[in-house]
Amino acid sequence: MRKLTPDKLEPGMQLAKPILRGSTVFIGEGSLLSKSVISRLQSMEIDIVYVDGTAEQPIPFDEAMASLNTRFENSGDNEIMAHIKQIVSQHIVDLYE
Amino acid sequence: MSEPISTTIMRHKVESINALPTVPSTLKQISSMLENPRLSIDELGRFISNDPALTSKILKMVNSSAYGFPNRISSISHAIMLLGLNVVRGLLLGVSVFELMQKTIAGLWEHSMGCAVVSRLIAQKREIKEPEEVSVCGLLHDIGKVILILQFPQEYEKAQEHAHAEGIPLHEAERIFFEATHADVGSWLARKWRFPINLVEALEYHHRPRLSKQAILETAIVHVSDVLVRARGIGSDRDARVPDVDPDAWNLLQLSDDDVKGILAELEESASSDTEVA
Repeated sequence: MRKLTPDKLEPGMQLAKPILRGSTVFIGEGSLLSKSVISRLQSMEIDIVYVDGTAEQPIPFDEAMASLNTRFENSGDNEIMAHIKQIVSQHIVDLYE
Repeated sequence: MSEPISTTIMRHKVESINALPTVPSTLKQISSMLENPRLSIDELGRFISNDPALTSKILKMVNSSAYGFPNRISSISHAIMLLGLNVVRGLLLGVSVFELMQKTIAGLWEHSMGCAVVSRLIAQKREIKEPEEVSVCGLLHDIGKVILILQFPQEYEKAQEHAHAEGIPLHEAERIFFEATHADVGSWLARKWRFPINLVEALEYHHRPRLSKQAILETAIVHVSDVLVRARGIGSDRDARVPDVDPDAWNLLQLSDDDVKGILAELEESASSDTEVA
């Protein structure tokens, strides 16, 4: 899921979360955005729109894993830290899939 | 190497923040206002509403994922009603130091926002009544760094360089150049600004949560949030070493693996480079 400000929306993107007006659904989850819907959204007071897809990662996968190892370099054989590292490592793997 | 700067000198200089030439005038005004024990909701609301830039920054913040309200909050009075006086006082400080954070320490704002998000998520999992207050603790936990760099720029830069060169946490490097750390500085200011004790202790003991006496849970949450945000490498130097988590604080929160995974996923969304929060 990607989180975008309305000015970054492009036709063909699919909503990952519904757009609400008060408590009623204005555009449902899964809707494809057209040019006209995007301009309506841009004229409404909306800060964030959630669309499908993976956010672009700023660095290559290998570099992300190398940084992770460096960050945990001082943790030695601390079991809790090893556990946290393992969860973060899996999280990074998932981000790049 | 010269002697570390004494706690007495540090405290005196930090507490005279209202007279410091490098502090922007808005922050000085806010600082004086927060010292007033009789500050009313109306006065605070008026002060913020009279400044359109401040109003827009605060509304952007309360509508961001750090606070996670499903419906848009469109006015300062609505924000105060929903979040309470102390949370809005904290947010006011947070957005006022935002630019200073951006200018002085790379990644500090992103780290602080990340901690605000994670602190709120953990507070909700632990069913704390006011998760937004804990979020503010996360947002402001490193505010002492900004004030130290403004008051003691040369010494603080040396501490930063030392931490980087030796691969040690900044608060350990601070100890070489100063008798107190940014955590102490943050707590002095939080007291000066009349924040509740849970915020004071969460700032003071975020590296040593076992010393907290009156805000054990909140302090543990900010400590663990700090570790998790660093573990993910958000904000500060991507290679900065993650300090070890305090085992008692970790165990107190009883986070399952799925909890931590969910927290990291939400953190990712809030830190996404697609958006600017402030």
